[in-house]
Amino acid sequence: MTDDALKRLMCLGCGFSYDEALGLPEHGLPPGTRWRDIPADWVCPDCGTPKSRFEMVEIPYAIGQPAARAVA
Amino acid sequence: MTNSFVLRADERGYNKILSTGATASYVGGHPDAFITRFSSFNFGDYQDGRPGFGRIRVFGDEAFHHPGCSYNMHPHHNFIICAFVLEGKLTHINTLGGLEELGPGDYYAFSAGSGGLHEELNRHVEPMRAIYLWLLPDHLLLPPSYTRGHFDAAAGLNRITLLIGDDAGAIPIAQDARVSRLVSDVPRSFRYRPRSTGHGIYAFVIDGTLRCDGATLKRRDSTAVWGADEIICETGRGDTDVLFVETIM
Ligand SMILES: [Zn+2]
Repeated sequence: MTDDALKRLMCLGCGFSYDEALGLPEHGLPPGTRWRDIPADWVCPDCGTPKSRFEMVEIPYAIGQPAARAVA
Repeated sequence: MTNSFVLRADERGYNKILSTGATASYVGGHPDAFITRFSSFNFGDYQDGRPGFGRIRVFGDEAFHHPGCSYNMHPHHNFIICAFVLEGKLTHINTLGGLEELGPGDYYAFSAGSGGLHEELNRHVEPMRAIYLWLLPDHLLLPPSYTRGHFDAAAGLNRITLLIGDDAGAIPIAQDARVSRLVSDVPRSFRYRPRSTGHGIYAFVIDGTLRCDGATLKRRDSTAVWGADEIICETGRGDTDVLFVETIM
């Protein structure tokens, strides 16, 4: 994996996961939005935890996931 | 090579979370209720300690004070959230349909997976004390699940009992991690063998004293050991109560 591979991050306040490949279109972050390009004052949409308290994870998806967003 | 650290009770993070002011929407039971939380690892505003251990991210020694004291219903994903009730009664409500009151010895594993909400509530005058453990899952967005268990201290006296893990009688979870409990009433030596030297053990003394890997631990002290074939734990005089979390590193 290169440094430029798309990354996944998890909120350490609630477990919400952000996937660079998927972005968060419903929160104004188009698919492909890099974590580094998200403003420093961005917070978890579910719990308000600051961006700095997300952890990069290399955890694979469960079978059939990410279901809903793959269609978008 | 064996590695270890010792975390004393008073070296942990501490938060008193009020049901008034800025945290009123987060903690129920306004105005008298409050939660106290000792964190073994960084969590929330406590960021001066260790980030976690293996797949553990949260180890909270918490107390809910005054009737109505709660974490109000709130959402989670992914984390496997486990609670072990030590004293008092915990009402746990989740969006998988679970609504039950747990007492001492009861525990649950709530895997939030693709999304779930829960509320944790003490309805009684007596404080509710519990250990909250959060583990990373082995897959993201798993189907959420909730399972409850009970540790019978009398039946399990003077041996290490698996509560969470992949053996019969324990609650299975989607992670290479296991939780065990040891209640002892006599000084005795116990051998804990992790599944491999790639697994670490976090041992937390709920009560009593424990000599573990060369360190003497008192109430609410803890230690983590990794890279070892086994760890030897010696319980002290009187009642000793220990929680072990084994995790792939
Ligand atoms: Zn969050």
